[in-house]
Order: sequence, then C-alpha cells, then structure tokens
Amino acid sequence: MAVAFQEGFVSDLVGRKATINELPIGKVTDFLVNRPDEVFPQVDGLVIKTAQGPRFAPMDSIADVDAHGAVALRSAPKIAAPPAEESLYLVSDLLDKQIVDVDGRKVVRINDIELVNTGGKLRVVAADVGVSGLLRRLGLRSFGKRFTPWIYENVPRTLIAWSSVAPIREMNPSQVTLVKESKLARLHPSELAEIISDLSAREAAAVIHSLDDETAADALEHLDAETQRTIIEDIGTERAADIIEEMDSDDAADLLGELPEEQQSQLLAEMNEYTAGELRELVKYEEDTAGGLMTTDYTWIYPHRTAEQTIRKIREIAPESEFIYYLYVVDKQDRLLGVLTLRALLLAQPEASIERIMEGDIVTVSPETQARDVAATIARYDLLAVPVVDGEGTMLGIVTVDDAIDAIMPENLARELPRITARRHTHRATAAG
Amino acid sequence: MIRRRGLWRSLLILLSVLGPGFITASAGNDVGGIATYSQAGALFGYRILWVLVPLAVSLIVVQEMATRMGAVTGKGLASLVRENFGVRVSVFSMLGLFLINTGLTATEFVGIATASEIFHVSRYITVPVAVVLVFLFILRFDNKTVERTFVAFSLIYLSYIVSAVLAHPDWHAVGMGLVRPDLDFRNVGYLVIVVGLIGTTISPYMQFFLQSAVVEKGTDEQELGLARADVVTGSILAIALAGFMIIANGATIFLANEHGANIMPTQASDFAVALRPLAGEFASAVFALGILNAGLFTATVLPLSTSYVICEALGFEAAVDRKFSDAPVFFTLFGIGLIAGAAIVLIPGIPYLQFTIDAQVLQGILLPPELVLMLIIINKRAVMGRYVNSPLANAIGWATVVIIGALSLFYVVKQAIP
Repeated sequence: MAVAFQEGFVSDLVGRKATINELPIGKVTDFLVNRPDEVFPQVDGLVIKTAQGPRFAPMDSIADVDAHGAVALRSAPKIAAPPAEESLYLVSDLLDKQIVDVDGRKVVRINDIELVNTGGKLRVVAADVGVSGLLRRLGLRSFGKRFTPWIYENVPRTLIAWSSVAPIREMNPSQVTLVKESKLARLHPSELAEIISDLSAREAAAVIHSLDDETAADALEHLDAETQRTIIEDIGTERAADIIEEMDSDDAADLLGELPEEQQSQLLAEMNEYTAGELRELVKYEEDTAGGLMTTDYTWIYPHRTAEQTIRKIREIAPESEFIYYLYVVDKQDRLLGVLTLRALLLAQPEASIERIMEGDIVTVSPETQARDVAATIARYDLLAVPVVDGEGTMLGIVTVDDAIDAIMPENLARELPRITARRHTHRATAAG
Repeated sequence: MIRRRGLWRSLLILLSVLGPGFITASAGNDVGGIATYSQAGALFGYRILWVLVPLAVSLIVVQEMATRMGAVTGKGLASLVRENFGVRVSVFSMLGLFLINTGLTATEFVGIATASEIFHVSRYITVPVAVVLVFLFILRFDNKTVERTFVAFSLIYLSYIVSAVLAHPDWHAVGMGLVRPDLDFRNVGYLVIVVGLIGTTISPYMQFFLQSAVVEKGTDEQELGLARADVVTGSILAIALAGFMIIANGATIFLANEHGANIMPTQASDFAVALRPLAGEFASAVFALGILNAGLFTATVLPLSTSYVICEALGFEAAVDRKFSDAPVFFTLFGIGLIAGAAIVLIPGIPYLQFTIDAQVLQGILLPPELVLMLIIINKRAVMGRYVNSPLANAIGWATVVIIGALSLFYVVKQAIP
C-alpha cells in the first residue's frame, strides 16, 4: 500500500471522501482496531458511510490515503462493519471518552487521536488531551493560525503516547477481555487510588475489575470507606471476596465493618475458611481501638527453637508476611512469651535458643485500648509495632506504627498545612509511610 | 494511607443522602429564589400560585430524568453531553453554564450586600470579606464543618412556613389561586415573573448537580424505585416551600398594597416585611441572616461545582487539593467565576433586585436547550438500554421545552419590540 498520508489526527480524517476510481462512494466515519493491546496498535480498517449504510473496508482494500486524508479504495466495501462488542472503534469507543493518563497519573478526556504511517501501516500513536485538540475539534485551528498566530503557537499541545493511555471501560465483560494486562497496574497503589477517587462509582468499579486481585486489594486499601463500599457493591460478591482476601486484615476488617450484615456474611462465605475466621474476629472490634486497628498478619515463632532454625523458618514464611521486623514468641496456646527483633535474631549465635535471646519484658496493649493511647505507646517506646493481647495473655494481633499514625492523624491534616504549595506531596509522603 | 475526598465530592455524597428534594430546595432557595418567590407574592399575591402546579409536574419529570440518567449510565450530565454530542455542543453549553452561573454567583453576592446594608455596613467591605470567607471555606475548613453549616443554613427557610401561617392568609383565596390558571399575556411584568419562577425552580445547573450526586452515591438501576420516590417527595417539598414564600409575601405586602399602602419592592430588603408575622420587629434581622447564609453558601458551591462540571466535560484535571499547576484550568475557572461574580455587585448603582430577577429569567430562557440535550440522550437506546424515556415522560418533557421556550421567546420579543 503506497500511502501518501504521513501523520495526522482522527478528527482531520473523519468525514473525508472515500473514492473508487475517483468516484466518491461515501465518507470515512470510523477506524477499527483489532488488537488494542499492542503498544501502538495498528488500524485494521475503515468504516465508510455509503448510500447502503456503514460498510467496512479492510486496510488491504485501500489503495491510498492522500496527505489530506482522502481515501482511495480498490474495490467497493461490501461487508458490514464488525459488531461493536467485538472490536475497538477509535471514534465511537474512544473519542470524547475518559481515559487514565498512566504517566501523568490523572483522568483526562481524549480530544483527538494521532495516527502515523509506519511503513505502510497506520498506527495509533498518541491521544491529544490538550487545548489544541479542543480547538481543532471546534474547527478553530485555521482561524487561530490566521488571526492570532502568537496565541495559537502558545496553546499547550498535550499528547500522551498511546503506551500510557489506559481506557476506562464499561463493565462489559466482552470488552474487558480486550485489555489483557491493565497499564494501570504500573502505578503505585496510592496513585491508583487517587485516580480511582477521581472517577464515578461505576468507572471506579470497572477499573478495579480490570486489575489483578493483588493490585486491586492494594488500591482498595488506599481508598476512603464510602468509595470502597460502592466498589464492592458494584463488582459482585465473588470477585469482591477474592480481592478482600488479598487485603491487609485490618483494612479488610474495616471494610467489612462498613457493609450491611447480610453482605458481610455473603462475602465471608466466599472466602477461604481461615481468612474468613480471622476477619470475623476482627470485625467485632470498634474501629478506633487497638482491636480495630490490628492486623493478624504478624510473624510468630516458638521459644525452644534455635536462632538458625528460626532464620530458616522465617525465610520460608517471610514472602507471605507483610511485617517481619519483630518476631513474636508464643507458646502452643498462642500466649505471648516475648519478642525478638530481626536484628537480634541475625546477630545471635546460630545455636542460641530463642528463649534465651528474646526480650521477655514486653509492652502490650489490650484490644479495647483507644487508638490515641496505642499511638502514644508506640511513640513512647519507639516501636514499629505493638502486640495486642487479651486478658489471658493470648496474642491477638499487632498494630503497626503506620496504622496507628493513620488512625490518629486528623483527616484534614493536609488542609491545615500551607495551601497549594505542597499538599500533594504530603499525601505522597503519608502514603509511603 | 490516603483516605481523602475533595470538598465537592463530600458535598455530593451529603446531597445524595439528603435526597434530590434537598438539592432542589436549596437550589431554589438561594438568594435568587427568595427574591423571585417574594417578588411573585408581593406583586401578584395568590393569583400566581397556580404556576407552581405545572411547575411541580415538570420539576418531577426533569429531576427523574437526571436521576435515571445518572443511575443507568453512572456518568454525570456533562460527560454524557460530551460523549453524545462531541466537542462543539459541549463547549457551547459549558460556556452558557459558566456565564449563567457567574451571573447567579453575582446574585448570591447581592444577597450578601443586601444583608450587610440592612445592618448598615457598606457592601464595599462585606463583599470582599465574603470572597475571602468563601476561599477559606473551600481551602481550609474541613468538609464536616462545611456540611453542617450547609444543613443549618437550610433550616432558616422553615421560618417562611411559620410566617405564612401566622399571617392568617385567606386559605380559600390561596386554594383558588392554586387551581385557577391565570396567564396574563399583556402584562410583561407578570410574564417576567413566570419565566423567573420557572428558571429559579428548575435551574439548569441543578440537573448537573443532581445527576452528579446520583453518580457519586453509586445508585444503580435496582435502586431506581427508591430514588424516584425521593424525587417526587423532594420536588413537592421544594414547591411547597416556594408556595409558602409566595403566600407569606402575598398575605403581607400584596394585601397591604390592596388596602391602599404603597410598598413597591425595589430591593430585596423590602421583602423582610413578609417575615413580620413571625419575627415582628426582628423581621429585617431574620431576613438579613437568611439571605446572608443563603448567599454565602451558594456563592461557595456554585463556582466550585461549575468548574468541576466544565472540567468534567472538557477533560481537565479538577481537584481542590491539587497544586495550581496540576489543575490550572480548574482553579482559573473557579477564581474567575467567584471574583467576577463579586465584582458585578460592586458596580456602583447596579439595580440589585432587577439584576437578580433578570438572572432567574435568563435561567428560564436557557432551560429549554438543556432539556433538549437531556431528552435526546435519554431516548438513545445505546446509552440508556431499556431505561429510555416512557412516552408519558417524553410528552411532559417536550411539552415543558415547548411551553418554556414559547414563553421565553414571547418575553424576549416583547422586550425587543415594546
């Protein structure tokens, strides 16, 4: 195909003439992409509005697209355009729709789409989300060039490379499969959460739906309770249960606590028994107490093992655990005997028994302890986490320092800090901490 | 861990919980609403009450449409307009929305200025102070405080119900006014008030508001029944409140004029008389506090929501808690909307009441184009599936468009050719 067309925008091409032997047969209305997963997906054909209705012209039936976008066909397009459910159409599915700019980390709208001729193939290379795209669509570009060249030259042109464009899809199952690996998974969970909170409930659910369970769980942990609740309601019990299982147990319990009882038990029924049992216990506690803040995801060891045996054991289980800096020494009844820092364990003689090297004088809190007091305890003793034990000394879980900070930090802390200058960074810093 | 939500989203959630009636009631009871309902009652008494009946029907139908669109599509009205009509229609409708909402913001500052002048404080002091307050409200106060203030503000309108009852109106005359249509085409003043009543009750921006609140709440098709019940009760409540405002003014100012007094309301503060049956000599103070609150709150919400809606349609980043450089368009629109609104009120000699009523009339004139867009979208099967409009909703919707359109056109022509 000897295509003269080098590069241009979809809005320039839509409405151009399509001809056979220089006789006009219709107008270009849309562009079909069969493999939207490619980094710069190829255009597989054009939809041409003819007197007989919309017809599909595959790329190999196209003789030329001239520099202005007029299309010359070899033969008359006969087949109807493939149904919308099975393919991606640039104009009807993407133009004017919201997308996530993965690199810029924000939700924007596609004003225009840039196509480039790469060795005879038309490829989608970028989304125009800027003011210049709007002006072009308004038909003001040539007007602007003529009358206010200086202003036009300075209109911000914002092109996002297609490789970082992530469409937000409707929850149409056949469409979701089009994007196999979501580009959104590249984002940090807190950034993902920030984007999700910019979306409507339905779109947020669609984005969560497109992620793998683990990424979805991470993102969900960073969202506010109300958004979490609506998302869980929208994505269906089975998927929701899978995602909640992947969340940290304290966050999962908080989330379950927000839901009506019926939904809560439906979700728990879908989970594996062990996780469900743990969460059932956690949900009972008030949100702003040690019980409500704690996670059951701590690392426990037995007192009679040697340091070497224990290190081997940690290596086995550590990949599964979030928090391994403190090792809690418990007996067979789960009673807390002592605590050992990872540092102390590494520095100990290999044959030393845990009992001998552990710290037996432990600071603990009870599940009813108020969040403020938990945080004060952690601060006073410079801890990374404090264990929660019941009246009989049985270990229930731990509250980590970051969960304690989150619990006592006023929601509007960011608002109390100097305005506009650094607020976003504050969020980032908190998220990282 | 981030657990945050911007002020606007918090307000939407609050609104969606309180229900659409609350949205309408508070939108109708901004300074423009108070002025228009008061003016209607003061100039025409109970005979204008009948307008509220068809208005209630249209209000219910329009609000139900916005609710259904939000629930079925999960998208705001601005998004739907953009996705169904493209850039041109979006840009023009957003331009219209921005202009009219900036005008409305100005009327909110009119309320603030009027209130301050009742207390003998110059508007050149209070209006700039109010602008600063609005900025503080949005940028510094936490969402809970703003929400609570909002709800507290709205309770003040209940004083109109009490005042209307205490004025011992002739309930028979009120009933007759409600059921006997009385449209006087020769009287331009009457026509202005009718279009103004429509504009302030079915404000164009309210549909954006309401639909966004539905979307933010995550209402879906299954919950439509409940949401519809909300719309009906809420609309009736809002209309009832408007009715009591008209009655309170009718029973006082209009009746006094009938009996030879000559109260010609030239500024909003004259309407304080309507609260005398309740508040006696404190009527002016109560009225001033009422419009001060209404003005301050709506002046906060209107520029904020307008820039959110515009950014939603045109795809710009919108968030209060971002840096200016992250959301320049959003902050610029917000700043212009707020400051221009305030500046208009500071123009020396600007006729407050006239300007306020005119802004409501303009809302009435701009309503039909908005309704046409809504009606086209809501009848698209590709968008709404089996939730497209019923023939009855279409009939009422289009009738509303035609009637309001005809009234507006008639009014415009009358203005142009006296």
